[in-house]
Amino acid sequence: MEEAIVEAAKYVGAGLCMGIGAIGPAIGEGNVGAHAMDAMARQPEMSGSLVTRMLLGMAVSESTGLYSLLIAFIILFAG
Amino acid sequence: MSLGKGEKVFVGILLAAIVVIWLFALPNIGGMDQLSNMGIGTQWIYTMGEEQGFFTRINLLTVIMGGVIVIGTIIFAGVVGRKFKMIPDKRQSAVELLLDFMYKTVEDAITRKELVRPVFIISTTLFIFISISNIISGIPGLNVSVINGEPQFSLFLNTWYTPTSDLNTNATYALMTLVLSHGFAIKVKGFKEWFKSFFEPNPLMLPMNLVGEISKPISHSLRLFGNIYGGGILVLILSYMAKYLILPVALWGFFGMFIGLIQAMVFAMLTVAYIAGQVE
Repeated sequence: MEEAIVEAAKYVGAGLCMGIGAIGPAIGEGNVGAHAMDAMARQPEMSGSLVTRMLLGMAVSESTGLYSLLIAFIILFAG
Repeated sequence: MSLGKGEKVFVGILLAAIVVIWLFALPNIGGMDQLSNMGIGTQWIYTMGEEQGFFTRINLLTVIMGGVIVIGTIIFAGVVGRKFKMIPDKRQSAVELLLDFMYKTVEDAITRKELVRPVFIISTTLFIFISISNIISGIPGLNVSVINGEPQFSLFLNTWYTPTSDLNTNATYALMTLVLSHGFAIKVKGFKEWFKSFFEPNPLMLPMNLVGEISKPISHSLRLFGNIYGGGILVLILSYMAKYLILPVALWGFFGMFIGLIQAMVFAMLTVAYIAGQVE
């Protein structure tokens, strides 16, 4: 019985960890994309270098979401 | 679209190889087991001798794959670099494009002229190694998972094992960047100025500065590790039922090549940025 509770708690915990942890990066990436769109609409000739920098900024702001992904994997497989 | 004869033969061989690999992999595809029985996220650790110590445990596949990538890159560099011509051929122009781009980025970021060349060499080396090892994580090949303590080799059931999906590799490079940035700072500004930089803007900020420095390599290494390792596990779980149909190929292309190249770029850019922040 106790093992079953622990098993269930693992899945609930991993799901909560990933779900709550995805909020921050989503807002951040949305901001990055929105402002890149603004800049591209203002200066369409710059769009090539803007896309590169937008991807760099997205990859950096994504990292907090990846930490929660790692924690979720640790809860599921290593715990 | 018109293809030449050689290209037609190449595409034919590629398609035949895919069919052969698929037939080879078909009997090994199991159902959806319990996730913990699939050996997901396990690493093959070889222990030398009886005692479990820090120096006797080797992550064998990381060493082998890292060595293979390093040797392959050196051979490629030797072949291309021996005959640099005025009018470049395909390989030479690819190399020149990459090096030119990296040099321009480093030149913009680093204000001290004498440091541009060493920082360029460090960041480009990191970028080449990490991007090659990320790209092979989008190609099916040899991988090892540990099930009930026994290492099980799987060929073409998973992507190549990459050195960057092991935290030790990434932490090594991140620590190297931290040490190098402080070394450059001491060399350029002098010991006194470097020591003073911890007490900026006032001595009360010393703990904050120290924590900021320590957290740099942690976030630097965990970003790359999380992307590659998490992407690999995500694709493995998503595609476990439908291996070698259309879905895994697209996922491997996205997580392995696209995300991998962006993360290699981010790693190299952050290396440049950390060093530039120290030597300013």
